[in-house]
Amino acid sequence: MRVDPDQTLSEPPKALAGLARGLEVSEYEGVQTTPDPGARTSSPAVTPAVGAAAGSAPAAAGTTRPPLVRHVEGHVIGGVAAGLASHLGVPVAFVRIGFLVTAIPFGAGFAVYAFLWATMPRGVAEPVAANQMGAAPEPSAGSSRAQARFDLRTVKVWLRSGNEPVLLTLFGVIALIVAGALWLGTAGIGIRPEVVLPIVAIVIGTIFFWSQLDDADPIGARRPVRWIWLVVGLGLTSLGLVGLLVGSTDLSQLWRVGGAVLAALVGVAVLAAPWILRLWTNLRAEQAARIRATERADIAAHLHDSVLQTLALIQRRSDDPAMVARLARAQERQLRTYLYDEDARAGTLGAALTVALGEVEDLHGVPVQLVVTGDRPIDEHLDALVKAIREAAWNAVRHADPPITVYVEVGPTTVEAFVRDHGAGFDLDDIPGDRAGVRESIIGRMERHGGTARIRKRSDGTEIQLRQPVMAPAGPDDSGPGRDPTSTGEADPQHDPGSRSLPDPAPSKPKESEEAQS
Amino acid sequence: MTEPRAIRIVLVDDHHMFRTGVRAELTSSASAAAYGSHRDGTSTRSTPRPPAPALEIVGEAGAVESATAVITETRPDVVLLDVHIPGGNGRGGADVIRACATVKTGSGAPVRFLALSVSDAAEDVIAVIRAGARGYVTKTINAAELLTAITRVADGDAVFSPRLAGFVLDAFGAAAGEVAEIDEELDRLSAREREVMRLIARGYQYKEVAKELFISIKTVETHVSSVLRKLQLSSRHELTAWAMGRRLL
Repeated sequence: MRVDPDQTLSEPPKALAGLARGLEVSEYEGVQTTPDPGARTSSPAVTPAVGAAAGSAPAAAGTTRPPLVRHVEGHVIGGVAAGLASHLGVPVAFVRIGFLVTAIPFGAGFAVYAFLWATMPRGVAEPVAANQMGAAPEPSAGSSRAQARFDLRTVKVWLRSGNEPVLLTLFGVIALIVAGALWLGTAGIGIRPEVVLPIVAIVIGTIFFWSQLDDADPIGARRPVRWIWLVVGLGLTSLGLVGLLVGSTDLSQLWRVGGAVLAALVGVAVLAAPWILRLWTNLRAEQAARIRATERADIAAHLHDSVLQTLALIQRRSDDPAMVARLARAQERQLRTYLYDEDARAGTLGAALTVALGEVEDLHGVPVQLVVTGDRPIDEHLDALVKAIREAAWNAVRHADPPITVYVEVGPTTVEAFVRDHGAGFDLDDIPGDRAGVRESIIGRMERHGGTARIRKRSDGTEIQLRQPVMAPAGPDDSGPGRDPTSTGEADPQHDPGSRSLPDPAPSKPKESEEAQS
Repeated sequence: MTEPRAIRIVLVDDHHMFRTGVRAELTSSASAAAYGSHRDGTSTRSTPRPPAPALEIVGEAGAVESATAVITETRPDVVLLDVHIPGGNGRGGADVIRACATVKTGSGAPVRFLALSVSDAAEDVIAVIRAGARGYVTKTINAAELLTAITRVADGDAVFSPRLAGFVLDAFGAAAGEVAEIDEELDRLSAREREVMRLIARGYQYKEVAKELFISIKTVETHVSSVLRKLQLSSRHELTAWAMGRRLL
């Protein structure tokens, strides 16, 4: 695809209008990466103009437009061009070239870039954007496919390589600017290189320097700073400054000028230091206070939604001790989950058991004590085990006496579960054949999944022992593709939805068992 | 300490309502137990003993400083200690235990502490156990079990709730099958200790554990005390993090 300089030159203003509009939307949204209908409806008005100007982006117009954010990854300076490209649906290289070309004569590209850098929020490249950039090219238009392939390559280059392309680009910028200046010089407009060159050096040095400060979101947050960039930026800037100041004066005065500059800098630093320090401490204090306030608001909201509601309910139902006990127990469990952050182990056997036994408690108001040692990601066999345990606990709360204890031990090769109650006990042979609770939901279910179930009648209760062999933890388990058994203890947002759906707390489950039993 | 004298108790909890509740519960269930009317009671003893120890609540406190003062003054047999109480160095119950480490009862035995808390969080449990508590039970425990626990702690034995047993199994890698080769090893459980812990985690009383493993209750108590010692002396200072790290297979 060719780039007509004139067209590209005419692009920025229009694109800017679109950007301004997109910006409004995305600022209202904060940094949320989900494109909302508002962003979608506002953009088509802009898209045709830009699409015509750039001669591309047929696919982007109809589909969801990624929000206008600076890309954290794949950035060269500030990620503005990459974000702009994925927002407009044009190849990132064109945007970059556009910026450079427009920057040459009067520095308009620089101004636009700086403006966008300052105003665009940071964000992560959307999957949508990735698709548009060529992972899954639209089959409709040939042009878009060619663009996608082209784009894929450039994106890859930008993503995979380190600092080299950045340096190359910067040298390119210098070369272009020098060329532009020379061209302007020959055209008769007086450009004095001794003025232009230091300015260019200062600008580039500043870009180097700022690009390191840029994405430190909370000031003072610890993040790796590439010192080499800072040094290069500082060096370029001071060189440029000195060059500008010294100008045409002769070189012997350089030391004196340098000394004066240094002295002035030190003086300013000494004067400003306490002030900056105080500003800094104030900022930190304010930040801490704000974080505390936010946390407090969160906790208050949670308490209001849960504890206060339950307390109100308890007061209204104070004549019903069983109900009060049930409400208190349910609330206690919920609060514990909140306080001890048990969401962090979502997708594991322990979490699924907590949910399942919580339901049993809620349905009958009898506390069930759960102890789990070890843990592992849940799979279909363990899911069956959870259901069998749930059934056993369900039987216990209905037919036996508390305390009811569930102990689950996750070993390297087997998961063992013990559900113990203090009831009169029952004999499997005494249960009529048409009642499927124990025989089908516990024993049958375990056997279908390769496990065993044993019912032990003790003098003061019953203990149901379940055994489910599992694969060795080192090997890949069958809980789903891409699941790394060593890392699943932490909350893994990508896997959560899938694994959450596996345990299937199954609101229909008690009904099923009731039907089976009655 | 088999002489039939009352177990002297100090209650330490910053919730006045809870102290009142426990006091009422203990005095009534102690008199009920005196007639042998409940299941667990003290009948877990292998040797016949007076069916119920008399309880005498000799003091109450609601903060670290007042608790230390009361305990030093009254020198009780057992202190029922809430994990979270105000004052001291901010570590609640653990501060009280440290401050009272040298206090002895009238008969020369050290003052024993039984932690009682609403919190199930491993950090809280481990903090008081490592400070020197002889046991840990949650506040939802019923009166009879609490009485049993107090008696046991007064005798110098350890009291483990199922959840504490589960934590121990996690922390010492026993769930994954790690077993100490010599009993003295502090970072692992012996095979027998592991069995005992597993049964306690399954909700078994000490006498049921004894019956299950064909050993005497005294042996069960010895094993539990040994596990408690390991929990207190293990060189793993970050037991909680350690346990969590070993949780996931």
